[in-house]
Amino acid sequence: MTMNRRDFLKVSTGASGSLILAVSIPGCASIQTGFEPETGEWKPDVWLELSRDDDIVFTLARVEMGQGAYTGLTTLIAEELDVDPARISVKFAPVAPEYRNPLFGLQLTGGSTSLATSWKPLREAGASARQMLVMAAARVWEVNASDCTTEDGRVVHPNGIDSLRYGQLVELADKEVIRGDVALKPKSEWKYIGRQAGKLDAHAKVTGKAVYGMDVDLPDMVYAVMTRSPRYGGVARGFNRSEVIGLPGVQDAFITERGVAVVANSYWQARKAQQALQVDWDMTDALDTSTEQVFEGYRRAASDDSGVKERTEGSVSKAAEQAEKLVEAEYEQPYLAHATMEPMNATAWYHDGKLEVWAPTQAPDLGRIAAARHSDLSPGDVNIHTTFLGGGFGRRLTQDYIEEVSAVAYQLKVPVKLIWSREEDTRHGFLRPAMLHRMKGSLADGQLTGWQHQIVGPQVLDWYVRNAAPAQYPWAPKFLYDTLGKVGLMAEGIATPKDISAIEGAVGYPYQVPNISVRHTHTDPGVPITWWRSVGYSHNGFAVETFMDELAYESGEDPMQFRRKMLDSEPRHREVLDRAARLAGWGEPAPEGRARGIALFKSFGTYVAQVVEAGVENGEIKVHKVTCSVDCGQVVNPRIVEDQIAGGILFGLTAALYGEINFDQGEIRQSNFHDYRLLQLHQAPEVVVDIVDSNAEPTGVGEPGVPPVIPALGNALFALTGKRQRRLPLTA
Amino acid sequence: MAFSLTVNGHRHTVDVDPDTPLLWVVRDEIGLKGTKFGCGAGLCGACTVHVNGQPARSCSTPIELVDGADITTIEGLETEGRLHPLQQAWIDEGVPQCGYCQSGQIMTAAHLLANNASPSRDEIVTAMTGNLCRCGTYARIVAAVEAVAGGVGQYEPAPEDA
Repeated sequence: MTMNRRDFLKVSTGASGSLILAVSIPGCASIQTGFEPETGEWKPDVWLELSRDDDIVFTLARVEMGQGAYTGLTTLIAEELDVDPARISVKFAPVAPEYRNPLFGLQLTGGSTSLATSWKPLREAGASARQMLVMAAARVWEVNASDCTTEDGRVVHPNGIDSLRYGQLVELADKEVIRGDVALKPKSEWKYIGRQAGKLDAHAKVTGKAVYGMDVDLPDMVYAVMTRSPRYGGVARGFNRSEVIGLPGVQDAFITERGVAVVANSYWQARKAQQALQVDWDMTDALDTSTEQVFEGYRRAASDDSGVKERTEGSVSKAAEQAEKLVEAEYEQPYLAHATMEPMNATAWYHDGKLEVWAPTQAPDLGRIAAARHSDLSPGDVNIHTTFLGGGFGRRLTQDYIEEVSAVAYQLKVPVKLIWSREEDTRHGFLRPAMLHRMKGSLADGQLTGWQHQIVGPQVLDWYVRNAAPAQYPWAPKFLYDTLGKVGLMAEGIATPKDISAIEGAVGYPYQVPNISVRHTHTDPGVPITWWRSVGYSHNGFAVETFMDELAYESGEDPMQFRRKMLDSEPRHREVLDRAARLAGWGEPAPEGRARGIALFKSFGTYVAQVVEAGVENGEIKVHKVTCSVDCGQVVNPRIVEDQIAGGILFGLTAALYGEINFDQGEIRQSNFHDYRLLQLHQAPEVVVDIVDSNAEPTGVGEPGVPPVIPALGNALFALTGKRQRRLPLTA
Repeated sequence: MAFSLTVNGHRHTVDVDPDTPLLWVVRDEIGLKGTKFGCGAGLCGACTVHVNGQPARSCSTPIELVDGADITTIEGLETEGRLHPLQQAWIDEGVPQCGYCQSGQIMTAAHLLANNASPSRDEIVTAMTGNLCRCGTYARIVAAVEAVAGGVGQYEPAPEDA
């Protein structure tokens, strides 16, 4: 196909804005639809397959990493098809233009967008298929289609007695043509949306039958481990191959772009052989920074360059001149790893000129680019099979592990599985960026009159574009890949959407203050970064809502009332704030030895307020209770909303209490769960999730639980101890 | 070297290096993938199986130490095609999110209930807190165990030191 310049420049910006250069791909249909007489299957569209035997298969174009898309999106199509979701089989989508996330122009699961972007198209797909089945039945019965009804996979005759199974109608339905728009069910007729229902993947996940990337098994498969430079950017020059190759079970060992691969008959043999490996690294371009230097660099950059204006209202300098009180604070947030329970892994097999890859990935079309990168293959020669993901949190948006296994498989020409150890997962990942925030607030007459926020740190897109840009133009020759990335970055904000990963949640500061300045000082210390559950919102949430608390304290006002009075034009913000405060008993004394903190933060279109009740016991922070009110528009599955918000809260608390990846001369100090700790069951607080009943369009819930809990806990500790927490992780 | 094991009632002989962790034997030699690799250091519990009725971190258990042992994995909890009550409770409570840690969680809970049919909340928390979950399903795990606690279990663990 050809692309003209206009197509190339056509852009769409994500609602969450997290990404990326999006173009429309005209006429690229790759999924065959219609009735297939040989199999007796009818594909009314790219989502559904209905068989004569009443098997219904739904193709899930978003991956399932725990966020509930498997159940949630199936519910949408089931509702309009009028079939119990539990009767529908779900399969993961192959890479195809039809399955791209319309917000990003990439086949990508992230940014808490799955439900919001599927809300209309999937219901329409289900309704259209149902309508065609009804029309076919009406033709058989010679009655009006509008007089027929449906009931769980059957079309019911106007007489209320006769009925035809969908399976009996699939061949006929294929011939029906819908003219005009298909009507969607009114809310009053919903049977599945908004109702408490089971998770469709629960059975597979409690019986050990769900297939994650780690569980892929192929005949005669071998196992690879990769030894990467201890410092990012180091390149392997040579290694003691003759020694390693003679070890038990070892089949091969060789240098790749990403490090030294050792391949053996079993994982354990590969791991053991790795211990004997001695690699000569060229560290000319390797990272040699330390965490302290990163923050020194940030401070220098912040002082040298006030940064790009991202939002300006009124004059903060005038507000500062006229202020009765000027408040200043600086906040620091460290690098964070994702620590998915399933370490990075992928399986690949190069045969018959094609490369097949099985992988737990959040972006299979980017995976295709990564897989093709170090071979003679083009992306079209790569087939990606997506599995269940043992956690994602943004880590699996970056495709380095697919790049690795593909390079190994291309060389070996036998099925190979590459598994990262937990230590490798902690030390060689792409991280949530460390950030610095400088805040200034002006107070006069008990009012906040000036708000200044300077964000200092890198942008994620600089690191992501390497695979993302070519994924949008998979037909582009590979020598153009780097150029595509550079063009994408140069055109940022003009031909491609702006990268707001550093500023999201800061520019959307919701409080009514007459003078506002939000600036970003862009500085990148060269540490590899990516998205991390709630991304920019995670660090901006801490900065904004901690500083709001500081200002409330300085103005002598209750932190909840201080926020509330500046939210007259933000009713949804105010409602969740009021509800969380009421539910948590805000204003009443906390139990002995405890205090409460509050925070309010909107991310990914979802409004969240939280009250944390915490104390300090035996020198350690003890979080007793988190009360959370959330407004995410129309709820599809209440239990999944509750789980995602509560899960986000625990994810945020883990970061608040323990999360820290540190560099020592370019090497990461942390390695496994003993020094990169996760919150354990006995430390988990009681969590109350209160969901606002809403008819608004649904918004995401995977990430919005994370940002407010970190400042709410810090604010609670300040209320308890009088010591302000300006650096993460928090200290008792 | 050859080692023999009884896994979920079936006898297997495997030929692997003596220091190979039980985890990789169960997963890659015997082909039962329900037991998961999480940390390789006994820190997260995703690899929990029962060895002679006792919970063990299979990622850190060399095969030579369990030669001849009776092993139960998540695949062995069902009896005659019926789910273990804990598995059913896990479904009813909607515990799993990503689900990767849940095999280990359920195996730990199954051992708890096999030895203490009516554990208190504190006993549940103490028994389960060594199993990490990154998605934050802890509250539902406690609820699911409590839903089964006091009920009649179908699962009879292999006798100790069998």
